[in-house]
Amino acid sequence: MKRGLVKGFIAVLILALAVGVTGCGGGSKTPPVAVYISANQAVVFWDPSDSFSNEIIVMNNMYETLLRYDPAANKLLPVLATGYKASSDGLTWTFDIRKGVKFHTGNELTADAVKTSIERTTKRGMGAAFIWAPVKEIKVLDPYKIEFHLTYPAPLDLIVASGYGAHIFDPKAVQQNGEDWFSQGHEAGTGPYQLESFKGKEEVVLKKFDQYWGGWKGKHFDKVVFQEVAEAATRAQMVQAGQADFVDNLPLEQIERLKSDPKIAITQTPSYQNLLGLLNTKKPPLDNKLVRQALSYAVPYDQIIKDIMKGYATQSKGPVPAGLWGHDESLPQYKLDLDKARDLLKQAGYPNGGFKLLLTYASGDEIERQIAELVKASFSKLNVNLEIRGMPWEPQWDLGKATKSKDRQDIFVMYWWPDYTTPYSFLYNMFHSEDTVNFNLAYYGNSEYDRLIDEGQKISGSDRQKAIGLFGQAQKLLVDDAASLYFFDQMYVRAMRADFQGYQDNPSYPHVVFFYETHRGSK
Amino acid sequence: MSAVDPGREKGRRFALPGLAYNLYLLRKNVLTLVGLIVVLVLVLVAVLAPVVAPYPKDAFADVHTEHRLQAPSRSHPFGTDEMGRDMLSRVVFGARISLTVGIIAIGLALLIGVPLGLFAGYFGGFIDELIMRITDVFLSFPPLLLATAITAMLGPSLTNAMIAIALSWWPWYTRLIRGQAVSLRERGFVEAARAIGVPRPRIIFRHILPNAVAPIIVQASMDFGSIILESASLSFLGLGAQPPQPEWGLIVSIGRNFFMTSWWYVTFPGLAIFLAVLAFNFVGDGLREILDPKTREG
Repeated sequence: MKRGLVKGFIAVLILALAVGVTGCGGGSKTPPVAVYISANQAVVFWDPSDSFSNEIIVMNNMYETLLRYDPAANKLLPVLATGYKASSDGLTWTFDIRKGVKFHTGNELTADAVKTSIERTTKRGMGAAFIWAPVKEIKVLDPYKIEFHLTYPAPLDLIVASGYGAHIFDPKAVQQNGEDWFSQGHEAGTGPYQLESFKGKEEVVLKKFDQYWGGWKGKHFDKVVFQEVAEAATRAQMVQAGQADFVDNLPLEQIERLKSDPKIAITQTPSYQNLLGLLNTKKPPLDNKLVRQALSYAVPYDQIIKDIMKGYATQSKGPVPAGLWGHDESLPQYKLDLDKARDLLKQAGYPNGGFKLLLTYASGDEIERQIAELVKASFSKLNVNLEIRGMPWEPQWDLGKATKSKDRQDIFVMYWWPDYTTPYSFLYNMFHSEDTVNFNLAYYGNSEYDRLIDEGQKISGSDRQKAIGLFGQAQKLLVDDAASLYFFDQMYVRAMRADFQGYQDNPSYPHVVFFYETHRGSK
Repeated sequence: MSAVDPGREKGRRFALPGLAYNLYLLRKNVLTLVGLIVVLVLVLVAVLAPVVAPYPKDAFADVHTEHRLQAPSRSHPFGTDEMGRDMLSRVVFGARISLTVGIIAIGLALLIGVPLGLFAGYFGGFIDELIMRITDVFLSFPPLLLATAITAMLGPSLTNAMIAIALSWWPWYTRLIRGQAVSLRERGFVEAARAIGVPRPRIIFRHILPNAVAPIIVQASMDFGSIILESASLSFLGLGAQPPQPEWGLIVSIGRNFFMTSWWYVTFPGLAIFLAVLAFNFVGDGLREILDPKTREG
């Protein structure tokens, strides 16, 4: 064993210097296969009713929704619904279901299937099921017409276009195979691609569904491969070597380098994604609003934007990212001001800092780590000792949900992006009081705030302007309470092969490539 | 103690006194000498880290993102990292961490392993059987795997990494010392001590232990390198030191993201690991030769 040491050591050295030289092959030389390489595992939840994670990309290629939202044009595009109308009070919505659509199981799409799909998702109550909360009743008028009755005038057209929880699946597949069938790694969608195979968490392969209603006349890919490659340098090399068509989550250093490669195209698009540091409002010393405000004044925001994000982000104003309706330009922003922070700490009874905090972030996320280190350095100037701990998402989340409050972290760093295109997704999930902890990892509880956003949500279908006003008031409360650190609204920067064509970023479906619309063309 | 071998008297070396002879052996063995010099430099650097490092504060919490990822220059001979910290300072303080980890982990392993080995060897029988089967269980796992599992259980931190390394390492010492104890307990001086009624603990720790120390020293000095490597590996995997600690393995791990664009990032901490491990191996090998009566005869 001792003699093997030197050998083992050399192996480690080579590994350290050469990680990434050997990427796994995608066999991409045959033209109709597209390869999407992500930093994250492709599918967390296989069940379309439960889906609320990375699988949004795979799901939106296997399954479809009634409508799809195009925020750039502010238009809803028909997908499984060919048309819809809402009553003047916004409480009754009728959708025409597309005829001649086949599920991958061979069964035909009908209004019944739509009703059963949505009802199953609602009943399971997992993932994004809450988006259906305003729906009181679903009525099937005829095999291709369906009517929704709402309890309040919510924007149902946006809800049915959600990237999560609104996918229509073949309910017969569940009836025949049991409730857990999806979770075991099966699917029964209508999308252009169907599941061919998957290997654990690393790889998912989709192949084209011959009977897709859109047809296969134009230029399309026959197969789509999704792979998880955790190493950023490897991802960058794979796209350079042509082993990947589309790569996400590259460190900005790599982007700068890839820009000079003519075979690579870099896209840069605004997103609805922001990065927050949720402050534990229930645990001392952060249960004191003054301390939370002090820390909000101790974050070097400009340095984060300029040096870490290289300008691919802007400092957030409150929890709703710029560009999304409900974003409030008039909200105050905290700026780096250590004197003010010291002052606030003094008022809070910590004239000389002197406490310890734990910050958790998702390990492997370079941006989060660098920000954590920067914040640690800045807090240390207030004599606040910040322990930063990178953890895989599941344990990080579990710690946040720990039964004993004292075991939980003080600062929870995470990204948020909306399920469907509404500010309520940010305001509700992260800050509305919860009986059992889910995503309110600030443990924020404020009945006035709850009332404002619930009210806003209820009227957002009928009176958008008033809703925006209420959401604005709620955000003022939140920012004044300093329930979270608001780091930045992100810009998505992605690298793809220059000959990968037809891709259009849609911030309502973050990270999703609708592969049916793409093809490999000559430059 | 043993009868004089007549052949030895002819040798010139026999006439040299102990220390001089040892130095002579050391000089003859160039690799050991080189290793020893590197180890001494490392120890000096670690002890004098705040003096040697050009920017001692950079080793820990200080950040200057405006200087991020600068290539080596006169003001930053090893370049800077993505937080704008001076790499030389971090590598220098890394020596401190690595040596501390080595000392503590080996110390803990010895603390567990040596008494157990002594008991097993001295008492024999059931106690021997029990202790040795336990060590067999531990030895059946590759040490890195076992340490990984333990840190995963305890939670990632440098302290836990040290505990994990010690827990995966002690059986080697138990085995080694048991072998020594088994042969020593039959020797005349032990028998004599027993005969005049010296209590057992005293026999074990005053008579057997000192005579079994040489192989432990050799083993420990060779393990030092392995342990530095193991702690670097654990940190590389995210299970040991946590950012912003300037642990070599951790720096290499983070540097992977930048190695296509900033060659110096992984190179210098990588070289530091390389040199440290190699040096301790040379020293360990040399010590074995010097302390081993067979090779001494040359």
